[in-house]
Parts: sequence; C-alpha cells; structure tokens
Amino acid sequence: MGSSSTERLIDIVMPAMGTSVSEGTVTTWCKEIGDPIERDENVCEISSDKVDVECPAPAAGVLREILVEVGDTVDVGTALGRIGVADEDAASNEPAEADEAAPASRSEESGAETAAESGSEGATGSNDAPTDEDGNEPHVTPVVRRMADHHNLDLSKIEGTGRNERVTKKDVEAHLRASSDEPGEAQPPLDGESRDRPDPDQAPPPEPVAVAASAPSAAGEPQQLSRMRQSIGRAMLDSLATAATCTTIVECDMSAVEHARSRLGVTALPVVASKVIETLREFGSLNATLDGEMMTVFDDVHLGIAVSLGEEGLVVPVIRDAQDLSIEGLSKTIKKLARAARDKQLGPDDYAGATFTVTSPGAFGALIATPVINLPQVGILDIETITRRPVVVAEANGNESIGIRSMAYFCLSWDHRAIDGAYAAQFLTALRARVESI
Amino acid sequence: MSTERTYLHAISAGLRQEMERDDRVFLMGEDIGALGGAFKVTDGFAEEFGSDRVRDTPIAEAGIVGAAVGAAIAGLRPVCEMQFGDFVACGFDQLVNVAGKMHYRLGLAVPLTLRLPTGGGFSGGPFHSQNPEAWFMHAPGLRVVAPATVRDAQGLIVSAIRDPNPVIFLEHKNLYRRVKDDVDDGEIFPTPLTARTVRHGSDLTIIAYGAMVHTAERAVAELDADIEILDLRTLVPLDEGAILASVARTGKVLVLDEANYTCAAGAQVASLIADRGFETLDGPVRRLAAPDVPIPFSPPLEQFVLPGDDAVKEAARGLLEY
Repeated sequence: MGSSSTERLIDIVMPAMGTSVSEGTVTTWCKEIGDPIERDENVCEISSDKVDVECPAPAAGVLREILVEVGDTVDVGTALGRIGVADEDAASNEPAEADEAAPASRSEESGAETAAESGSEGATGSNDAPTDEDGNEPHVTPVVRRMADHHNLDLSKIEGTGRNERVTKKDVEAHLRASSDEPGEAQPPLDGESRDRPDPDQAPPPEPVAVAASAPSAAGEPQQLSRMRQSIGRAMLDSLATAATCTTIVECDMSAVEHARSRLGVTALPVVASKVIETLREFGSLNATLDGEMMTVFDDVHLGIAVSLGEEGLVVPVIRDAQDLSIEGLSKTIKKLARAARDKQLGPDDYAGATFTVTSPGAFGALIATPVINLPQVGILDIETITRRPVVVAEANGNESIGIRSMAYFCLSWDHRAIDGAYAAQFLTALRARVESI
Repeated sequence: MSTERTYLHAISAGLRQEMERDDRVFLMGEDIGALGGAFKVTDGFAEEFGSDRVRDTPIAEAGIVGAAVGAAIAGLRPVCEMQFGDFVACGFDQLVNVAGKMHYRLGLAVPLTLRLPTGGGFSGGPFHSQNPEAWFMHAPGLRVVAPATVRDAQGLIVSAIRDPNPVIFLEHKNLYRRVKDDVDDGEIFPTPLTARTVRHGSDLTIIAYGAMVHTAERAVAELDADIEILDLRTLVPLDEGAILASVARTGKVLVLDEANYTCAAGAQVASLIADRGFETLDGPVRRLAAPDVPIPFSPPLEQFVLPGDDAVKEAARGLLEY
C-alpha cells in the first residue's frame, strides 16, 4: 500500500478500569477495519465484572487491525487493535484506501455488527433531523422523540398513522409491543433524572403492555445472562448469604418534601437524600462498612445512589463527600451520575467506596420493598412511591382529624451483625422527623 | 338510603348541614332571606335559622364582602351570595386587596365563602352570564372552586365553609336544575381540593370544569375514541399532578373554558402542560373557550359564542387525527 510508508501504527489497549479491575471483555467493535477514526472517538466497548465502558481512540487515523475479537477477555494493557496514523497529511486518499484495505476476512461477526451499527445510526440520524426545511417530513412530537431515544428506535421504520403519516405515540407503543426484543413501555425515569419530564410522583402508572412485551426474546430459547446480570446476581446472593439482613419500615409524611421539592425545582430524591446524609452523621453505625469482624465507621458520607439501566441491570454510582453538598448540589450530582451511568461514562472507581446506599424505585409505583444490602455496607434505604393516603392528623391543640397527605414508606435494610433493631428504628424516626420538618 | 338532588338542592343541603353543625356559620346576600334567593338556594332558610343567621343585605356587594371579612376575622364563618357572579366586581377590592391579603399582612385567617352563580347558556346577557374565575385565580390568597356535579356541589360547599381561607365558590346557573343525581342521605363529607377523573381513556385528555365537564361528556359520547375527561373541580389550588399525569398517559390534550379565551383558567392549564409536560406531548395543546367578547343576549349569538358540543367534537377529532 502506497500510504503505509507515511503511516505509523498506534495500539489501542485494554483500558485500566479502576484499581480493582484487571481484565475486560470486548463486547462490540464500533469500527471496522478501514474505518476512519477521530481521536477519542469510541472504537469498541468493554465489559468488566463491574462496569461497561467505551474505549476511546488514542489517536486520529484509520483502524488497521483488530487483535481481540468480540467475546474475548484479556488483561488490562493488552493491545486490542491498531490505528494507522498518518505522519503527514494523507487524509485525502483515505477513503479509497479504506475500500481497498477491506480484507475478505473482515471478521466473523461483522454482519451482525454492521446491522446493529446501521440501526443505531439510523435512529440517531432521524432524531437529529426530524423535520425538513420544506416541511415535507412529518415532524416528531416530544413524547415520540423521547421514546425513540429511550428505546433506540429508527422512526423511519415505523409506519405512521397520524396526520401526514406522522409517527404517533400509539404507533411507537404498537411497534414496541410488536418487537419482542424491546421493552414495551415508556418507562418512567428514575427519580434521580427527570430531564424536564413531569416529576416521577406524577408520572403515570406503567402501561399494561409492559407485561406481555417483557417476555424473554426468541420464545423459549434459554439465553446466557449478560455479564452485568451475572455480576449483580453474584453480589446479591453473596450479600444474602453473608449479612443478617433485616428490614425496618417507617411511614413518612412527604408534604414538606413536596413543598421543598417544588420550591427548589428538584425531585424528591435529593431532598430526602440530604436528610438521610444529615441523619447518617448522627447514626454513625449505619454509615459504615463491615468486613468479617472488622467494622469501619465513617465521618464522611459517600452515598451510593441506585440507578436503573432498564432491563440491562442496575448500578450504584457513589456521591463522594455527600455531606458537603446542598440539596441542589445533590440533585445536580445525582442527575449527572445517572446520566453518565446510562451512557456508560463511569469507571469502576465511580462505583466504589460507598458508605451507605439509597434506592428509589418509587417512580415505578411500588409501595414497599426489602432491599438487599450492598456489602460491605451496613444499610440500604429504599424510598418508595409517594401516594396520597388518609392519615390521622393532630393539630397543635391536640384535636385529631383524618387528612389526606402525601405519604411514602422508607424501608431500611440493615445488617443485624452490625446493629440492632432499636438502632435502625431510631435512625428511621430521626430521619422521618427531619424529612417532615424541612 | 339515597335521595335524588339537583345541583341547586345539593348546595342548599350542604349549607343547611353546615349551619346545623356550626353556629358560627351564617348567610348574607341580597334577597336571600324572605325571598330565598334569586335562584332559591336558601329557600326556607330564614324560617329555619332565623333572620340573624340568614341576613338580607342592601344592594352593595362591597358592603357584603367587607362585612363578611370583618365577621370572619372576628371568628364567624360567613357565607355570602352574590346574586349573580357578575356583580362581584363591585366587591373586588374587599375581596382581592382585603380578604386575600389579610393572612399575609396580619396573620389573620379569613374563613369566608363567597357563592358566585356564574355562567351562561340561558340568554342572561352580558351582565348575568360571565365566568369571572380567572380574575381571582390571579389574586393570591383566594381559593377558587367550581363543582360540576351534584356530589361535588354539596361536598365542595362544605369544604369551602370549613376552609380557613377565603373561598370563591362558583356555582353554574345552567346546572342548577338540569343536573340531578342520587346521593346518600346522611352526612355530607367535604370534597378534597383535587381534580376528578370523570372517565379514563388513552387517546386524548379533555380538561374542563363546571358546565364544560358536561359539554365534554356529551361530545365524547358521540366520538368513537378512548377519551379521558378530567374535571378540575378546583382552580386554586390547581391539581397540577393530576393534569400532568393524565396528559402523560394520553399525550394529547384539549382544554375547555366557558370563560373568555384570554388568560382564562384553561390558559394556566395549557401553560403548565407546556412548561412541565412538554416531553409527554404527542400533539399541540389545544384550547377551546369563548371568544373575547361579552356574552350576547341573543340566543343564536350566545350559542355561537359559548363552546358547544359540536365545537368540542371538532377539536377532539382534530387532535385524534393529529
């Protein structure tokens, strides 16, 4: 090849994904041999026990070699592929070269990969340019765009039944129901990330189509669990086998939270989280880790926040020194972490070192749950859905009446090896007092 | 046991119950005593409770509202009737600047209920057909409720009387005797200040209050679609959660007002949806209201001006096809 003399090869290496990870598996190559690559552009995706990350290109150039195939696991630092970098300006002849360089044995999985890639490109393209200047293209409404983004759909492949063949929300729902691979509902967002949507407590109940559509794909065929699911499974079984898990529940009047929430323009989660942090500083034995017979109590609160990745799984990024953040700061950080987690922008160190965990699946409408402790932590607090309930309300003069209040259950799972029920109850009542008097 | 009541009798029943229950509750208004009120809501009340508690007043709305504010501060629970809601304009200052701001300025509660017979549809003309709710939605410190059904008419008048705030109670004249329902005998419980889902649906949400709820129901009955109707019931406080949740379910919304279009209650609802429900929308937020003209006396002209069944059907079809 004429250009090889002006080119040098740079290795793409398996990135270090934090201190506790020594190897990783290539799950996808995003580029094929011969594809031009920008510096820091995503070339492949890597999965480890703890996290999925994207592998950025170390330099701009053309992908010349793929050394580790999809599915293979190698140590950190191993070369995954090589990028040909032009010493001088050789950009002009790259496209021609790319065709020429495409080897017959491009790679076994390239067929599937190309399909996946073009699918995602299609979706992005149609979302970026929903309307034409001349108005010929039917436009995309906010809810349809959001659903398409969420499920990574190519709207041009969905038949529209709206005016001018616009793709309506119902068309998307029907499409999702029809394709068994896709979850069939527009899932309400986790509390932590509202993205200008209505707040989760106001989100509609999940629509009934979900049940049918979440059936396993490829009807009846057993399929290997994803690495993330396997990893979650191991951690959860390990926790249940190790910790003496108990769950204590209090009922909390969320009226003050609702008020504070709307005043500050945040969701309920950061408001409650700030009170959890304050209360943890008072109840150190819950802001702790237990390793065998060694217990470590922390002054600072490193708060784990459970983030749902949909059917893919669940991750728990950590807000370090959460006690230093205001409610608004917590809100911003939670949103940032949740988004980064979903975009796979977090590394294993972002998931390590929590001293306590908060989970809030309340947006999905559940009333009570018994969360599993994220070892080696001692406690995990589950903030459930806020519902309007009749409760006995005492006035200052001692009169009692039945009132309608926004109520939620706080479910604390704790490790009986570290603390006792009275301590858990005291923590929860102290938390409740704080939450009700914001 | 249950009894059939009209919307009007439901209001009477709620008033009677609260007067029996609480000695502090008393009524004031023009011709509400011996005559029983222009619409007979308080028919027989003077005989039953005496003229001390059912007080006829001069034709002076500022005086009625002002006296009621004083009585409320002094510990009573006045319920005032404006003979027609339109006339409340004469009591505007007492209501907006005195009653509404009392708690903020002096920390004093003003548990005052002001009944406004509102709305058109019977050739009442420009002085007897208005829907003035938006004037008061814009004035902090006042609650504004608007029942559409017999059950809510009696429940909301009870809620209003027991509320520690000044409450504007909008009773739609055109519903007084046209709307009937069987309701339980026995105690009338206060209606919560929240919206009510009249019927569930997945294709479109129609948001209305007062008489427009019935217009929406008639229109939907003739449409072949799964349409949700939300009856706001209370405009202040506005049940924002219910509005956003319904729109999130259906993705499309039509907001109805019998009031004049500009700055009506429905404008606030539409603004809320645009502001906080944007990502749930699958179509434009449509509004239907009376044009910005006084309500005409002429029956055909009035029918033209007020949003009717056909207009609602047409707007709903447009959204369903969108």
